[in-house]
Amino acid sequence: MEITFTLNGKKTTCQIKASATLLELLREALNLTGTKPGCHEGECGACTVLINGKSVNSCLYLALNANGKEITTIEGLTKPNGGLDEVQESMIKNGAVQCGFCTSGMVLNIKALQLETMQNKKVPGSGIKNSPNRNEIKKWLEGNLCRCTGYVKIIDAAEEVFNKGK
Amino acid sequence: MSKKLKIIGTPVPKHDAKIRTTGEAIYGHDIKLPNMLYGAILRTQHPHAEFTIDVSEAKKIPGVACIITADDVDTNHIGYKRDHPILKKNEANCCRDEIAAVAAETKEIAQEALKRIKVKYKVKKGIYNPHEALKKNAPQINKFSSGKFENKNIAEKFFYEHGNLEQEKKNSVAIVKRKFTLPRMTHACMATSNITAHYTKTNGKLLLYSSTQVPFLYQRDMAHALKMNPSDIRIIQPIIGGGFGSKLDMHPFEPICALLSIKTGKPVQILYSREEEFIASPTRQPMEIELTAGVDKNGNFTFREIEIIKDNGAYTSWGATTPFVIMQAFSSLYKIKACRFNALAVYTNNVFAGSFRGYGNPQATFALERVIDLLADEIGIDKAEIRLRNANTKGEITGQGLHYDTCGHKECLQTVIKKLKVEKKKVEKKNRFKRGIGYASMLHVGGGAKIYRSDGCGTTLKIDPYGFCTIITGSNEIGQGSETVLAMIAAEELGIELSKIKVINTDTDVKPWDVGVHASRTSFVAGNSLLGAIHILKEKLNNKAAQLLNEKNKNFTYENGNIISPSHQQIALDKVVREMHFTEPNELAIASYFYEPSSKFQDKDFKGNVSGTYAFASQSISVEVDTYTGNVQVLDIHVAQDVGKVLNPLLLDGQIHGGILQGVGYALTEELIFKEGELLNPNFHNYKMLTAADVPNIHFYPVETNDKQGPYGAKGVGEAPLIPTAAAIANAVCDALDVEIVELPITPERVLKAIAEKKNNKKNK
Amino acid sequence: MEFEIESPKNITELCKTIKSYRSKSFRLGAGYTDLLMELKKHTPRNLTVINLAQLKDISFSSIRSTTKNIQIGAMVTASKLVTDTSVEQPFPVLQQAAHNLASTQIRQVATLGGNLCTASPSGDLICAAMALQASCEIMNDDKKIRTLSIQDFFIGVRKTALKKNEFLFAINIPKNKKETATLHSGFIKIGTRKSMECSVVSLAFHLQIDKTGKIIDAGIAIGASAPTVKFAQSACQFLIGKKINSFSEKEKEEFANKVLSYASPISDIRATAWYRKEVLFNISKGVLE
Ligand SMILES: Cc1cc2nc3c(=O)[nH]c(=O)nc-3n(C[C@H](O)[C@H](O)[C@H](O)COP(=O)(O)OP(=O)(O)OC[C@H]3O[C@@H](n4cnc5c(N)ncnc54)[C@H](O)[C@@H]3O)c2cc1C
Ligand code: FES
Ligand code: FES
Repeated sequence: MEITFTLNGKKTTCQIKASATLLELLREALNLTGTKPGCHEGECGACTVLINGKSVNSCLYLALNANGKEITTIEGLTKPNGGLDEVQESMIKNGAVQCGFCTSGMVLNIKALQLETMQNKKVPGSGIKNSPNRNEIKKWLEGNLCRCTGYVKIIDAAEEVFNKGK
Repeated sequence: MSKKLKIIGTPVPKHDAKIRTTGEAIYGHDIKLPNMLYGAILRTQHPHAEFTIDVSEAKKIPGVACIITADDVDTNHIGYKRDHPILKKNEANCCRDEIAAVAAETKEIAQEALKRIKVKYKVKKGIYNPHEALKKNAPQINKFSSGKFENKNIAEKFFYEHGNLEQEKKNSVAIVKRKFTLPRMTHACMATSNITAHYTKTNGKLLLYSSTQVPFLYQRDMAHALKMNPSDIRIIQPIIGGGFGSKLDMHPFEPICALLSIKTGKPVQILYSREEEFIASPTRQPMEIELTAGVDKNGNFTFREIEIIKDNGAYTSWGATTPFVIMQAFSSLYKIKACRFNALAVYTNNVFAGSFRGYGNPQATFALERVIDLLADEIGIDKAEIRLRNANTKGEITGQGLHYDTCGHKECLQTVIKKLKVEKKKVEKKNRFKRGIGYASMLHVGGGAKIYRSDGCGTTLKIDPYGFCTIITGSNEIGQGSETVLAMIAAEELGIELSKIKVINTDTDVKPWDVGVHASRTSFVAGNSLLGAIHILKEKLNNKAAQLLNEKNKNFTYENGNIISPSHQQIALDKVVREMHFTEPNELAIASYFYEPSSKFQDKDFKGNVSGTYAFASQSISVEVDTYTGNVQVLDIHVAQDVGKVLNPLLLDGQIHGGILQGVGYALTEELIFKEGELLNPNFHNYKMLTAADVPNIHFYPVETNDKQGPYGAKGVGEAPLIPTAAAIANAVCDALDVEIVELPITPERVLKAIAEKKNNKKNK
Repeated sequence: MEFEIESPKNITELCKTIKSYRSKSFRLGAGYTDLLMELKKHTPRNLTVINLAQLKDISFSSIRSTTKNIQIGAMVTASKLVTDTSVEQPFPVLQQAAHNLASTQIRQVATLGGNLCTASPSGDLICAAMALQASCEIMNDDKKIRTLSIQDFFIGVRKTALKKNEFLFAINIPKNKKETATLHSGFIKIGTRKSMECSVVSLAFHLQIDKTGKIIDAGIAIGASAPTVKFAQSACQFLIGKKINSFSEKEKEEFANKVLSYASPISDIRATAWYRKEVLFNISKGVLE
């Protein structure tokens, strides 16, 4: 069947199998290998992408439900001139990247939190309006496993993104 | 090294962090070659069984290119003891056992083919407990074992001693004896195991895209397994999604993938599923440690006597050699007058363990540091005081012959004791929540470990006519940041911008020899090797510069891309290189160097100075235990580590944090659970790695002892952070609850059990 | 994993589709976080998934107030339950249960209906909804609605009272009593780590207290302690009419024992039955501390 969606800002139409996951579509059909497969079962967050600005595990998301939506992958976060998003910059600067296999998912999930707070909406369950604190960041990242960094620098990187906004 | 350092010691972000943050980095999972086939492995359904196998139906499926079983291949056994057939014939001995493999046009077809392979099993009763395996009437588990020990199921054996044990027992006023049980923990790298093999029939060359951390040993092992010439095998390492020791051994799936490519003449890729990763990738050694230790009336440690039984699993991997490291902790961490050490690795029908960051040391340190607390209690000394009193010191030569030319042990201890004391005052003993504190130290090799004939590393260094520098190093990058450290060294010494330095380290056809990533050796050994090459290259550059500048004094300095003479004449580095190439005596701006650490191969009694230098660390940890649920919350972790010299604080922090959180997982949550040889939790759902929400406050205090052996004084750091963590947490939990913990992980259930037992004991008294 | 898919755009189409599949094998899919996990392990041949994710009807995915109830559509996601003030203020137990479900990413898609219809004994939203004494609105392929109390909705391990031609449309949560001055309401989830846990044991409590401190209504439910989530009726009865601040140690234990009487846990790799009981007793007591 055919679906049409906006992928990293570009309108994209493709033929898919009804049972294909978004992760399979991205990596195998569209060769966007920046989205990483860590478990295929919703546990690790390496496959995180943004769907209409919200972070979602692409391994548990049917490709066909992407129809009509806006999808952002890690490739879409880099600016056309090769410049990086501030979340990426902060990850690098803070030494939050070791093997890097979790990094795409981490970056996009932090981005989702930033988008959420930029809309000045309440961050889930926290009662805070603008800038999440360290504990809220930790909770937000609970679904992204990282084996290398012990998360500390990743949390630092996220914190810096939000403190800049202050 | 008296000159002021500009780059070394600064927080330079990882060399290739950028491409790892944008999705541009290419990992093994991302490789796609033309006409590539997908490989898949059929594993036994029963941990121990005889079987017959029929692949005829599966072969008929359209899209299946090749199916192999043990009958189709002519290979040598693999593994440290060469006791491991790549494909198993007629008999399965553990739940990992590979019994057939498929290469097909798609992943789906490969899976379908596996389902259609018919296997008839005759299930046999396996042996899953090493004590059972040691019984006289037990059957021989591994038919390919060397059989050189008195019991057929002993895979490896270690004995070590120093000092007069009997005398020291007499000198002891208190003796404590305990048995500790350590679990199987797995690496759980975020990228699952993978390999892509490409055999070209016409020239008989095998190209492997492999995540191995020891490419040159791997090349030799692969050649031995496949009965090929090592030089016909080329190994290219794609970017690796986590190592931690898991890629030290060559595992059967790797030669299997090569065989599928050889049979089909096409590239073949095998990617593990996460479930397969849990079942079939290596683990930390599970073991039982019985430790008896004493202390004299002055609070000085007298002796340690150790009996270890390690569950070797069905085959022998490098992991069987962990007692090298374990005995070192027992013989040489804190001053210890006498030590006797016995370790057995025993075959069972369980999965075999491999090497894992720390290499046996976390297990040893857990037992050793737990017993120190018990000894302190016995003689009524403060737990901090007893450690300080026995701490290692500079200049010490230990019973095992380790030379501590520099030693930050005492300073590490003092630091973490002082830092935690503040919090100790805050400790409140509410009814439900109880707080406690714990200490632990560790000793680990810090300058490589001479366990092969060489512990060396080669470097070739070149500067191009545009002033860019290429470091071709034997060492590897597995995410730990070694490339960055090398680039920093070159930038420091040659006065070249970091962005003009390239590191080539992924191709065995190109790079010079090196043992591989292990024993926290890379920065130390590869760093020294690079410094050697820089020295040679600078001599050549100096000569040319002197000629061009008409200088007699060749005491040049290198800064901002220029070579500067003592009389302040300067010339651009790239210009000097061009002149070297284009004017007489024409020569290349290239140099090679092989560094071999001064360490010694240990004698047959395991004595000798095995490493170039040694790293020390201490941790103090506070916990809060919920006595209603048994949950242990780690509050603060103070860690002081003798790193020799901080080369890059950003990367160093990363190693510390990452190691510590693995240590917290080892202490509290991580365990592969087996029943009769079968893994019950092969997923992240039930194998509980900690998440960001669980991260405690980690406070790190580097201690610089400037070891003259190390590059700029640095020691290896990679493994140390996780080694004492579980021990310190266990000590803190025991302190909080006044219970005894002899087993890891300290799950909520084990905590409530310990509390219940304490209540029962009180009642019975 | 191979299946066909139908994506109805509204409830009328949905009912028609379900009717047309009366004699064929089909499954409903909402957020897919349970369903895909199940189908990745095993997909029966010739399966069709009827996709609820593209339904446009607001009634399916909104939270609204009726005279007596707060009605929550089956397609409301866990993350909406976390942020929506009409849940957070009156029903902290539900908000907390949703907030501790899985991860940020899963909560964006996981639905209330999916959680209920999976009928897992450890379903967190089930447990919270049961403590709130919710009822289920069930629609059939003729668009007829029947209402069932949440306790009757679950008939066994992973079994609901839904017939093949029925689906869950919404749940109704009775509004808090007028006399209620304060709430003691929360969700306790037991596991080894702080996040990403499937409850080893869970306890949902929702106590309504008048201005004198008297408990005027109580809902207690326990998860992962029996084949289905259980409503601890006698424990609730025990509390009603008593003052929240006046419980003696003995009464707290009596209450905890009443809660425990609904538990018949099993031992599995995550915990033994012994541990589950021990913890349930302790945290029940803790509710009154
Ligand atoms: C990593 C991970 C962690 C998790 N953690 C938790 C947790 O902490 N707590 C917890 O409770 N659960 C947890 N879950 C389970 C799951 O996320 C929840 O149960 C979720 O609420 C299911 O909703 P869904 O919309 O994804 O359901 P789906 O997967 O779409 O559907 C689930 C089942 O319900 C049926 N169904 C769905 N909607 C309807 C309807 N309206 N009418 C009739 N039948 C319907 C489907 O046919 C299917 O059988 C976890 C899952 C994963 C993958
Ligand atoms: S791959 Fe999707 S969560 Fe792990
Ligand atoms: S950086 Fe390796 S998993 Fe996160």
